[in-house]
Amino acid sequence: MNRDEAARLLDAYADGELDPAASLELEALLARDAGLRAACERIRAASAAIRAQADYHRAPAELAARLRVSIPAPPEGARAAGGLRRRRWLAPAAAFAAAAALTWTLAWTTLRPAAEERLAGDAVASHVRATLAGRLVDVESSDQHNVKPWLSARLPYSPPVSDFAAEGFALRGARVDVLDGHPVAVLGYQRRRHTIDVFVRPGAGRRSGGYERDGFNVERAAADGMEFWIVSDLNREELAQLARLLSARSPG
Amino acid sequence: MDERKQRFERTVLPHLDAAYNLARWLTRNDHDAQDVVQEAALRAFRFFDGLRGEPRPWLLAIVRNSCMSWMQINRPAELAAFDDGAVERIADDAGTPEDLALRAVDRRRLNEALAALPAPFREAIVLRELEDLAYKDIARIAEIPIGTVMSRLARGRRLLADSLRAIENAAGPNAAPKAAR
Repeated sequence: MNRDEAARLLDAYADGELDPAASLELEALLARDAGLRAACERIRAASAAIRAQADYHRAPAELAARLRVSIPAPPEGARAAGGLRRRRWLAPAAAFAAAAALTWTLAWTTLRPAAEERLAGDAVASHVRATLAGRLVDVESSDQHNVKPWLSARLPYSPPVSDFAAEGFALRGARVDVLDGHPVAVLGYQRRRHTIDVFVRPGAGRRSGGYERDGFNVERAAADGMEFWIVSDLNREELAQLARLLSARSPG
Repeated sequence: MDERKQRFERTVLPHLDAAYNLARWLTRNDHDAQDVVQEAALRAFRFFDGLRGEPRPWLLAIVRNSCMSWMQINRPAELAAFDDGAVERIADDAGTPEDLALRAVDRRRLNEALAALPAPFREAIVLRELEDLAYKDIARIAEIPIGTVMSRLARGRRLLADSLRAIENAAGPNAAPKAAR
């Protein structure tokens, strides 16, 4: 790799998109070329400034509402296997599709306890509802000493509340939602652009294990008689990191 | 409610902010961004059965497509910037070492500078820095090779730094003597 090639690859290197072999070669050049190092720093500064300062335009609430109205319901009988509706289950084609779906569901549930599957689905649905409604937290605070009493006053238990801002998971607040028919504490965390919901309830659930639902990831954690269901569109590795933090921290 | 529509709302609508952010940066106004996203969402619903893999890049590719159609009618001149010849002609010499402009830049100036970038660079930067997408996803959304993603990001960042430096030098009280370029 010569200097021109190196200069051309600097952005990919700064973005972590260069393959390991090329990265090593580039790092060797950087180590002895102050000009290249300065160029690399400029790229990083530009990237950091944009991330910190550029406006992120969130969709206006009325757009989501408008969409839900304008997305059409399918024409009657347009798809036999796609949109099963209760009243149409007696139609033979639909009944066949239902049987196929049931077989598929049974195959899946034998791999995992059915209750856990359902809980993971409920947690994702709750997270999506809160996202769409724009109310991820009802009490907005990064101070665990504000959030914990707020939750304790609304629940028959007092969930542990920790801010992990130092580890890159900043506490944004909390809300109370319903999971499995019971009120449950939901802690809201933020990592980069991703919002993370942590459902906390008493129980001695399994300490780990992940699920994937509709593009969302669900991780499990447990500590000191509480179990955590962690839901986000964040990747599995980073969610697992939060799961480890929650398992390690004893309730305050 | 219809099961397919329900599934669509659970899978795709959570990425509405990302869709809107991209459309807003490409059209540069709220009203058109809303129209473009609405049209894109309806198309996404129509193609929903073809969704494989991650929903967010998939949706963004559709939104980007709708933005291009919108530009064809409303901003044909900007669309010309996507012609790679035009992209290549932009002077790319920068590299003055005193790059303090970016460290202390204020929010308004940075947003103005980003909005003023030619669309191909603006698009690449929004997808990378604001959506945190991998090069391969950006390549798929913008329908360009990964190498072009890399060069557009490189030039985009440099153009942005240059225009901020020009603004700072023109406006700042302790402006460098060799101001404009």
